[in-house]
Amino acid sequence: MTATDVEHRAAGPATVAEPAVELRAVSRWYGNVVAVNDISLSLGPGVTGLLGPNGAGKSTLLHMMAGFLEPSAGEVRVLGASAWRRPAMYDHVGLVPEREAVYSFLTGRRFVEAAARLHRLPDAKAAAARAIATVELEGAQDRALGTYSKGMRQRAKVAAALVHEPAVLLLDEPFNGMDPKQRLQMVDLLRRMGAEGRTILFSSHILEEVERLAESVLVIVSGRLAASGNFREIRRLMTDRPHTFTVHSSDDRRLAAALIGEPSTAGVELEHDRLSVRTADFGAFTRALPRLARAAGVRLDEVRPTDESLESVFSYLVRRS
Amino acid sequence: MRVIAEITLRQLLSRRRTLLLVVLCLVPVAVAFAFRLADPVDVDPLEWTGGLLANLGLGVLLPVVALLVGTAALGAEIEDGTAVYILARPIPRREVILTKLGVGTAITALVTCASALAAGTLALRGADDDGLVLGVVVGTAFGALVYTAIFLLLSLLTRRALIYGLFYVLIWEGLLAGLFAGTRVLSVKQYALGVAEAVADVGPDVLEAPLEASSAVPLGLVVAAAAVALAVRRLQGFNLLGDAAT
Repeated sequence: MTATDVEHRAAGPATVAEPAVELRAVSRWYGNVVAVNDISLSLGPGVTGLLGPNGAGKSTLLHMMAGFLEPSAGEVRVLGASAWRRPAMYDHVGLVPEREAVYSFLTGRRFVEAAARLHRLPDAKAAAARAIATVELEGAQDRALGTYSKGMRQRAKVAAALVHEPAVLLLDEPFNGMDPKQRLQMVDLLRRMGAEGRTILFSSHILEEVERLAESVLVIVSGRLAASGNFREIRRLMTDRPHTFTVHSSDDRRLAAALIGEPSTAGVELEHDRLSVRTADFGAFTRALPRLARAAGVRLDEVRPTDESLESVFSYLVRRS
Repeated sequence: MRVIAEITLRQLLSRRRTLLLVVLCLVPVAVAFAFRLADPVDVDPLEWTGGLLANLGLGVLLPVVALLVGTAALGAEIEDGTAVYILARPIPRREVILTKLGVGTAITALVTCASALAAGTLALRGADDDGLVLGVVVGTAFGALVYTAIFLLLSLLTRRALIYGLFYVLIWEGLLAGLFAGTRVLSVKQYALGVAEAVADVGPDVLEAPLEASSAVPLGLVVAAAAVALAVRRLQGFNLLGDAAT
């Protein structure tokens, strides 16, 4: 896998001659700030997660795909043509924006019906009823959106985005504000839609969310595509990266001496009452540590990873790419 | 398109905005009522009413109402992010702008024309007005169209449309446009006055319109059309994220 020029195809039941979404050397900058840096990728049917820390450029990327932002360089193509200045594209594309605001004065049903009418669907009422049933919002459809919980609003937004049964569905942080039950419902819904052969891309900054839903993943860090492809492979890369642990034990010096002979240990540092251990092999080290401590007669009081933030994981992927 | 018009109408007529518009349109009516109560003997009611409708109605109420309505017709949805639910649809941007303009103009015209009608009738006590009130109502409706188009465009150019619009109303329309002959041809108030005077059958010292209708109407239409064309163009390349998002 490489950071750029990645040919990525999400898993799915069908293949298409031309990718549903294609980015060719796309960059976007705001003044001196580069938000998206020379990204090339293509997406096909199935569910793909767009993963990255806050401010990584996920929304910029999604908005360029949705035709709401012009690339500073390169080209974004959706369903065979440029996404920029092409409202006709929305016949086959649905967008669920991150912002929570909806027309609070409309009922859920009227909101989804309005979307259907804007798509000039022949039977807007029936299409809206289908979309509302898909997101399981029938019970609340006659209440004003202003009275909805965050999760219900999110489902209403999804219903409005899929009322015309789009081939491509783009969702910006769709799980924000949802409780665990609502998250599960949304995961099921998106999985189902992916299995139907739609191209679904959703952004998230939470690894576990992406893990639950997407087989394929795009990792974006500081505007660059850090990794892309099968989720399990990327997860392994994240797990196998060098780790640093801080260890507190009954005898740090003796434990350090024991660890230095262990092949999975890359470095040991003993400073005052703190023992830092670097390892290049996460799995082997975590298995070896308790064994070595027991053999040396040392009691382990605390083993704490020092660089477990998502940002550090992502940074590693960037450095590696 | 009907669904855009319905949503725009509901958005524009929020409780707070409606209350504000009602209060604003009552101001000229209240002034006319005070005039009627005072009943000064040495004032010509026709000239006084012409002054009230031209200066307070066309000069202040019309641009302020158009500013509140025109900048919110699309600007409010852009501000809170709901515009995406209209723009992420296969609708030509021209249709969006024209619908928003139509609804915005209708509300602005309704509020300001009703105010002119009530204030004029009240001040003149039902006496023969030589078509003054009708003329001002027609001029107001014409001005509503041009002003709303300008403020709709402004809401697409800047997120501070209300502030810049207020500066425009106060500085340009209120001050500079009345001072020099050259600037009058670029003043919506003067276009509206020109139309009002042409429809009414009053002397030149009642409304004191500096432009003939034959100039005012085409100039106003050109300004409105240019504003619409620019707004459509701006919306075609509209960035929903703002200028510094990531």
